[in-house]
Amino acid sequence: MSPVALQPQRRIGWATWATFIIAALFAWSLIAIEFSPGRMIEVPGQVARVLSFFWPADMAYGWDAVLPAIVESIQIAWVGTIIAAILSLPLALFGARTLFPRIARFVKLISATARAFPEILLAIYFVPIVGLGAFAGALAIGISSVGMLTKLGAEVVESIDFGPVEAVEASGGSRILALRYAVVPQVLPEIVAHWLFRFELNIRASAVLGVVGAGGVGGVLLNTLRYRHFEKAAAVLILTIIVVLIIDMVSGEIRRRIIRS
Amino acid sequence: MSDKKGSIRFSDANIVYPNGAVGMKDLNLEIRPGEFVVVVGSSGAGKSTLLRAVNGLNRLTSGTVEVDGVPVPQKDGRELRELRAGVGMIFQDFRLVKRLSVMSNVLIGRLAHVPGWRAMLNLWPAHDRDVAHKALERVGIGEKTWVKASQLSGGQQQRVGIARALAQEPAIILADEPVASLDPVTTHQIMRDLVRINRDLGITTLVNLHFLDLARQYGQRIIGLRFGELVYDGSAETVTDEDFRNIYGRDFTEDDVLDEDAV
Amino acid sequence: MPPVKPARNWWLWGGAIGFLVAMTWWSAVGIGFSMTELACNITGGGRLLQESWPPDFGFLPRLVDPFMETIYIAIIGTVVGGILAIPIAVLAARNLTLGPLVWFADRNFMNVLRTLPDLFWAMLFATAVGFGPVAGALALSVFTIAVVSKLWSESLEAIDMGLPEAVRSVGGTWLQMVQFGAIPQGLQHYVSYVLYAFELNVRASMVLGLVGAGGIGMILETQRANFEYERVTVIILSVLVAVLVIEQISESIRKKLT
Ligand SMILES: Nc1ncnc2c1ncn2[C@@H]1O[C@H](COP(=O)(O)OP(=O)(O)OP(=O)(O)O)[C@@H](O)[C@H]1O
Ligand SMILES: [Mg+2]
Repeated sequence: MSPVALQPQRRIGWATWATFIIAALFAWSLIAIEFSPGRMIEVPGQVARVLSFFWPADMAYGWDAVLPAIVESIQIAWVGTIIAAILSLPLALFGARTLFPRIARFVKLISATARAFPEILLAIYFVPIVGLGAFAGALAIGISSVGMLTKLGAEVVESIDFGPVEAVEASGGSRILALRYAVVPQVLPEIVAHWLFRFELNIRASAVLGVVGAGGVGGVLLNTLRYRHFEKAAAVLILTIIVVLIIDMVSGEIRRRIIRS
Repeated sequence: MSDKKGSIRFSDANIVYPNGAVGMKDLNLEIRPGEFVVVVGSSGAGKSTLLRAVNGLNRLTSGTVEVDGVPVPQKDGRELRELRAGVGMIFQDFRLVKRLSVMSNVLIGRLAHVPGWRAMLNLWPAHDRDVAHKALERVGIGEKTWVKASQLSGGQQQRVGIARALAQEPAIILADEPVASLDPVTTHQIMRDLVRINRDLGITTLVNLHFLDLARQYGQRIIGLRFGELVYDGSAETVTDEDFRNIYGRDFTEDDVLDEDAV
Repeated sequence: MPPVKPARNWWLWGGAIGFLVAMTWWSAVGIGFSMTELACNITGGGRLLQESWPPDFGFLPRLVDPFMETIYIAIIGTVVGGILAIPIAVLAARNLTLGPLVWFADRNFMNVLRTLPDLFWAMLFATAVGFGPVAGALALSVFTIAVVSKLWSESLEAIDMGLPEAVRSVGGTWLQMVQFGAIPQGLQHYVSYVLYAFELNVRASMVLGLVGAGGIGMILETQRANFEYERVTVIILSVLVAVLVIEQISESIRKKLT
């Protein structure tokens, strides 16, 4: 058979194998967690039954207890993002391979490590240090965002036009002044946009930190579900969804404007 | 003449790039204060290399280059920055910070003249802002002071580049193909600006050009390079077509002149 | 005389900076931010780190089962979510969808799914179907739908419409157009997004157990509650290693694909 004719067949073979392996892994996983067909049939009913308890939502509880907790989540996300922004700006500059080849390697290592920790694991460590509460959450959010913001920021810096940097140095300016006059003005809009995007992600992240006692709306949801107050849980969900959507919309619009300017 | 600033002297200078390319070969050259020198040569002949050796952007492999009798430091640091403060540079691609105002771009030329903390905080002394503005007036775009650099035409951007160099109050200006990205009319305006500045302020000026007619029209002294070597050094009035043929190692064509009638 | 510097748009700048400062101040007070507390408790932090070190590696064998459970949960969540994401993504792609109403409904459904974080879903399902890995698998299925459908619908919107239109013009049904005209073009992106979701799921399933949805998070929660920080360290370290290894694997698969 000619190689031309063989080509598509080999590809089909490859895809079939991949499908087969994934199906096998899937089946094996189902068996391992004892997700039997009998169980599977029950699940939709169970979910539907619980969801039916969610109605009507207890909005009075929503205004009294949930809204303050959501506000706290927003505050956690905001402070965490500010901490991360302040720490990551210099790291992003020094993490740019093209500007500081030697330091950059080290900075990239730090940022990769910071990125590997989900914020909730960090919160587990911060809660015993600064005590139960929102402060621990903000620190956890801040530290875990530093990694990603440093990485994205360094990528922005690496993508800029380096002509002006050389122009500053050719006129006798130091490397630091070159950062101030040739690099920062070029990268700041994109970096601020990344900060805003991270803020959107941090709102979601801060909403669950309450699970380990680090403040915010997560603890409220956990408690309402634990004590089976489903109408109250419904209020938590509804308000969280609305607030997150609104913040996404506003922040997304600001990001678009910043980038266009 | 001895007290006038802006002399350059290369002695047995060589530059070999890390990849083995020869950028400069056994160069001996003396440029006197206030001269207007045009450097010509085909692509890769070493014109940029020569200019960038004067302010230490390119390091010598051997030999020396001196500015006003002081060897150009061959490593980064304070001394090199001090030397660069007195040497302005103009680039083919302008190298402006497009998101900043024209004024901020020109003030970059003053960075080495003010205390670091002031520059960091954008707190410019009135004197330096004045110098920057005078530089803009000199190139005729004083009214564009507060416009964003990205909103200027190519010729205006290059004028900002020249003003940035002038703001350094330099003894030497290095211009690396300053007109290569411009249209013919703007090209002549910019070349006239450079000549005028050289005449009015007595700033030693080195200009790389690849158009022969421009070299002949605006140069006082012409230096020809080929494979990093100095192959011609003489007055613009006496340079012949034969000399150009020798510098380029071939007959020159329409591509080598700006105005086609000059062939 | 230099032209005067044009006045900035003070309303805009003042407003933005004022908002920034006020928001930060209000938030910092609201969450009880205090440098002194941080400084005072830094010794406590030192003590905590001391307690967390050296890691209790003897605990490692007891991690194997929960660890496997974590992987199972991630696999189930990725496969179920990955499959369900296909129709949702197709209907949310402006160029392929069935009609403006379907598009609008589907897009909003997708956005609402996306607003809730993985742990929220885990809490919800743990309550509905009981504590354990089934809840975790369900939670990650929903989470995967949210991630993959959003990303993939965007790349589907960018495909070349020549082929789908050709299928349509020779009398193909909508389903045939999607199946033969559109999906093959988006396949590579689809695989890469599903792999990405798998990475996120492994990471997430490490913590799902905190709310009783099975996997290694469950054992993390019990050790943490008992202040067994030497064991917490081992768990976290193993989580880190697993996350990095899986990232490497999926990265190399992704490279092979392109
Ligand atoms: N950074 C560098 N690394 C390696 N080789 C280089 C580098 N810069 C220049 N060269 C080489 O050195 C030689 C001289 O280059 P140079 O840039 O000085 O030429 P030029 O006369 O300015 O040419 P052009 O008219 O194209 O700008 C060329 O052979 C070039 O390939
Ligand atoms: Mg050149």
